[in-house]
Amino acid sequence: MNALQQEIAQLIIDTLNLEDVTVDDIPPDQPLFGEGLGLDSVDALELALALQKRYDIRIASDSKDARQHFTTVATLAAFVQAQRDACAN
Amino acid sequence: MSEQVVQERHWSAHKERGSLILMRLTAFSVRVFGRRLLTPVLYLIVLYFFASARSARRNIRQYQSYLADWSGNASLRPTLGSVFGLFIAFADNLLDRLDVWRGRLRFEQVTLVDPSGVRTRLLHSQHGGRGEILVVTHLGNPDVCRAMAELGEQVPLNVLVHNRHVAQFNRLLGEAGDRSMRLIQVSELDTAMMLDLSQRVERGEWLAIAGDRVPLHDGRRVMVNFLGHAAPFPQGPWLLAGLLQCPVNLLCCLKVDGRYQIHLDPFLDTAHWERGRRDATIQGWVQGYADHLAQQCLMAPQQWFNFYAYWQPAQPEATDAN
Repeated sequence: MNALQQEIAQLIIDTLNLEDVTVDDIPPDQPLFGEGLGLDSVDALELALALQKRYDIRIASDSKDARQHFTTVATLAAFVQAQRDACAN
Repeated sequence: MSEQVVQERHWSAHKERGSLILMRLTAFSVRVFGRRLLTPVLYLIVLYFFASARSARRNIRQYQSYLADWSGNASLRPTLGSVFGLFIAFADNLLDRLDVWRGRLRFEQVTLVDPSGVRTRLLHSQHGGRGEILVVTHLGNPDVCRAMAELGEQVPLNVLVHNRHVAQFNRLLGEAGDRSMRLIQVSELDTAMMLDLSQRVERGEWLAIAGDRVPLHDGRRVMVNFLGHAAPFPQGPWLLAGLLQCPVNLLCCLKVDGRYQIHLDPFLDTAHWERGRRDATIQGWVQGYADHLAQQCLMAPQQWFNFYAYWQPAQPEATDAN
């Protein structure tokens, strides 16, 4: 797990107040919704708002992409990285 | 699941299908025969419903006796006549809804009780400003509010509905003349749609969502005291309001002395909770909402059209998080 993935896993835990869950309990490729971590759409909104605030990014809603970005910790990290790179340029 | 829970089928499991068929049939019949001819037919259908649906009768009886005990008004105690009267009021309610959808109910026929100008804020919010949340109640006739909100002007309103037949309902509303309301099915809300809603609120659009019905597969519910007994209410509207940090208003439409009254009441200036106090804060809001709802029940005691078992025990839904 790279540093950004770890950071995001910790952000998920803090934002959603997941008791008794540690970063190690959320493997980067584990689905966040449904079968995996079991988050729901309210969690998704809360997480999206927290990510936008923390990384100063804007997550567009008008595409199917949003759904894909929020699949796992790994996809979220890749998305945040891409947004940062885009801003840096 | 206990046997009781299995027997008391959840409202969403059976209600919409029946009401969709009934509405479609009624919509067709009203067009062909007119309201006057249809009224006795609908009364017969409701009479049949009254005679055959034992659990619906029992649930209404329970509501009436809770209301009487809670208010200390013995004249509200259930009798065969008062239970039947509520079923008849339901028939009138269906006929009124069709009038609304066909545009037969005009603004002059409705009294707006809106002392703090919530409707004005709604109409102006699209020209700058953030959106707000309307928590809607199933007491009375919420369809009237929708029609009135739309009348004359395009209103930036997104209505979240608990309905598995939204597509068909949208088509039926289209046929019946209900135009631009954006209906969104609660069970289809996912990450992208939630983000979309939050951005709509930023742009000044409002959200309307029912505060008095608990979705089937949703562990996010809270038990509060309603008419003297514990009943489950949804957390969803309040979570949305808190996460989006927007004001909350309560919306209800009651028929009083043969005239519709739309009640718009500001409820929270900004929905906000302290860190770690979320559940307790929401509990407090929902209790306040339930108390408000109880007062409105007293204004229109015969317009409670929840025929399912409203006061159900809390169900632990460990596996339903998805």
